[in-house]
Amino acid sequence: MRLDLRGALILGASVVAALYLISAPLLMLLAAAFRGPEDVLPFESDARWSLGNLVAVYSDRALYATVIPNTLIFVAGAVALGFATAFVLAWLTERSDLPLRNAVFALVLFPLLVPGVVVAIAWIFLLGPNAGWVNLALRAILGLEGDGPINIFSMPGMILAQGAALVPFIYLLLTAVFRAMNPALEEAASMAGAPPRAVFWRITLPVLRPGILAPLILATLVALEQFEMPLIIGLPARINVFSTRIYYELNPDTNLPAYGKAAAVALPFLVAGIALLLIYNRLIRRAERFVTVTGKAYRPAPIALGRWKVAALGFVALYLGFAVVLPIAVLLWTSLFGYRQVGGSLLAAVSLDGYRALFASADFEQALRNTFIVAGLSAAIVTLIGAALAWIVLRTRLPGRSALDMLSFLSIGIPSVIAGLAALLLYLSLPIGVYGTVWVLVLAYSYRLAVATRSSRSGLSQLHPELEEAAAVAGAGWLAAARRVVLPLLAPSLLASFVLLFIVGFREFTMPILLQSQDNLVLSVVMWNLMVANKSAEAAALGSLIVICVAPVIVFARRLLTGRLG
Amino acid sequence: MRRALSVAVAAAWLIVPGMAAAADWQPNAAMLALYDKAKAEKEVSLWTPAAIEGSWVGAQFAKRFPGITVNLTADLQGATKIIAEARAGRHTVDNWTFAIAGMIEVQKRGLLANEDWAAYGIDPKDTFFDGEAAATHNFVYTSIYSKAAVKPADLPNTWDDFLEPKWTGKLVAQSFLLPRMMGFFAIAWGPERAEKWGRTLIDDRKMLIINGPSEPYLKSGERVMAVGESISLAYQYQDDGLDVAYRNLDLVPAGQFAVTVLKDAPHPNAALLLAAWLSSDEGRSLYEKLIHEADIRPGSKSALAAEIRNGGAKVILEDLNTMERRAKYYEEYSKLVRGQN
Repeated sequence: MRLDLRGALILGASVVAALYLISAPLLMLLAAAFRGPEDVLPFESDARWSLGNLVAVYSDRALYATVIPNTLIFVAGAVALGFATAFVLAWLTERSDLPLRNAVFALVLFPLLVPGVVVAIAWIFLLGPNAGWVNLALRAILGLEGDGPINIFSMPGMILAQGAALVPFIYLLLTAVFRAMNPALEEAASMAGAPPRAVFWRITLPVLRPGILAPLILATLVALEQFEMPLIIGLPARINVFSTRIYYELNPDTNLPAYGKAAAVALPFLVAGIALLLIYNRLIRRAERFVTVTGKAYRPAPIALGRWKVAALGFVALYLGFAVVLPIAVLLWTSLFGYRQVGGSLLAAVSLDGYRALFASADFEQALRNTFIVAGLSAAIVTLIGAALAWIVLRTRLPGRSALDMLSFLSIGIPSVIAGLAALLLYLSLPIGVYGTVWVLVLAYSYRLAVATRSSRSGLSQLHPELEEAAAVAGAGWLAAARRVVLPLLAPSLLASFVLLFIVGFREFTMPILLQSQDNLVLSVVMWNLMVANKSAEAAALGSLIVICVAPVIVFARRLLTGRLG
Repeated sequence: MRRALSVAVAAAWLIVPGMAAAADWQPNAAMLALYDKAKAEKEVSLWTPAAIEGSWVGAQFAKRFPGITVNLTADLQGATKIIAEARAGRHTVDNWTFAIAGMIEVQKRGLLANEDWAAYGIDPKDTFFDGEAAATHNFVYTSIYSKAAVKPADLPNTWDDFLEPKWTGKLVAQSFLLPRMMGFFAIAWGPERAEKWGRTLIDDRKMLIINGPSEPYLKSGERVMAVGESISLAYQYQDDGLDVAYRNLDLVPAGQFAVTVLKDAPHPNAALLLAAWLSSDEGRSLYEKLIHEADIRPGSKSALAAEIRNGGAKVILEDLNTMERRAKYYEEYSKLVRGQN
């Protein structure tokens, strides 16, 4: 479709914004890796160009003996577990006749709302070797003595906890893929006599491949960056991975945070991002093979589970029990009982002091408002820019579009802490008056274009250009075609992207803590301050309220999606 | 009944010498003159490493010096932000409280104001960096145990008692605090013995190393004794409903906290007033009364200092003379604790 002036302006502005939002933290990351010495911050006048950080990090024998092997095992295990679980759940809710599918959809996403710290502590409550509920039960049943038999403080424990934590993230992206796929191909294969296994391997998987690869690649990078589980569950086992190594560099025992070393450790994220993107591009080079949405209407017919329905429900219940019910129970319990030993009547022991103290706090109201503004605006900005970039990459022959695509993808390789530091330095220096305000957070959060671009690209690769061409033939300009044809059909992908970014923004902690001032407090920072201050009941009360605030977003998104797609 | 209780509390307040001194405390003429100037500035921003360090300050300061609002920011990475703001010529921080070891990088960049603390009644021995910071309180290391799970007869008397096999699988320690405490031990014992002690606890006693408060681990029963916590934390855990107590042993390591005024503080008079008040008898007494963070240095009249003295423990204070040695030990022991060596 030909671009008109308005379209060119919109796309041009998107490109400029994307370049700015990503390049600043990326350049900062690169620059910081090559700035030294260690006792000087990268931006100070005494800092000079140096290979010292790279030498210090990559000459450390422990990196090769423990950190890299541990990281590979941890990431591979967690992604495999998380992906397999999410795939089954997504298939069950999107393509089967599983009962209560809408409720399951919302519940599967719930762990996204619960702060990672709470989830990790919940796993310890469950599988702690001495006093974990499951271990206590197993010892009682099996008549065992001592501790165990399961130890969460181990590599399998870390994989289990991280894999479960990844499920909602992968699930959200996979459901959009399943939803965008026309089941007519599967139905045709079935009618031609192909058995279900052949349909799955020869039709379903190849058609879904680009959509599956995106969440798989993103999950791999997210698992690389996550540090709550490795820190809380891996530290007692003294298992170090890349993310904890970065964390330790940023939280040194003496002196200032070693941003240069942290950036040097973070560089493999970028290398991994580039490598994965190249693999991804190679696999979907012939995007036409995967076009399944054309001008024809379709309506997915759910596949009957038959006698497998009970097993499917059991699988869903098991996942929800471990990943949803338990963390939320821990959160609510702590908000109502603190860490008090509860004896006798539960009702008598209930205390709403945590909630009362929270509502009496002046910081809470401001933080609630700020959090919605920052999470909502940044998610909207990133989703729209991501959609524009995806359109440029797939629908134009603009020189440099591949580089633009890669740049947007690289944003996922930039750790939040580096992005936060970059924003701190940038907006302290720029005389535009946003430092210390809520707008600095909106700008800082808006670098995460990878999720939006991948999600939009997956959706757009399944929309045949003939739809836009038909709109153009009918006299619609670029903007009208985009607004009336492309965006409505992309809505599932865009909504998935928005919801994910909104939730990530709602929970974001690293950047707002770096950029915090009295005027831009957000809920995660307030919660952290409460936790550090050992105000466990107030922190848990706030965690519960975060869940309550974000839960309607998921339900709303689900309704929009199901309403649109019938 | 309530009145009787109030009278009893007031009496106790007056009986404890340190608190009596604080109750008698009045701002001197220089401080009152400073208050007159500070009132025009209306507000002051205080940065602390954790919210608890400063959450009480606003209300108490307003009682003593009405009309000046204290804006609190809790940030463990305060040093980085102060340096970044100074670099950009933007200054939002007036006061900063931190352990003196954590102030070094900011101090050596010349970002702290040199004040005449003596004019406001602060003893010169209570100041650091030639007058760029004034003492507030100590971070007193101890061990915290579950009263239900540890019998009085089993309680340790020395730090070496934790090496006994009976503690296997029962200990927990924070990865941030344990190496710091071991750094103090290295000063007292020598580095080899301190390292052997820590290695034995981790490898043989299967001590659980965590990255946050030990509260949930003591609550759940996953562990029964937290090694290297602070006395202030013990009180916080009790306030949260945990049936725990602290146990001071043969050595009592004590980190030193101080308050400082930033050289380019946007509210310089209010900042100096707040700093001088926090370091005064009244300020230090409130630290102890409200968050159980007492000054235990020689000559201190605090109840905790007396308790430690009476217990016969040897106090190892954080001081500027041993700063570099301890920093080196922290670094080595942190790697040990985190499994990075």
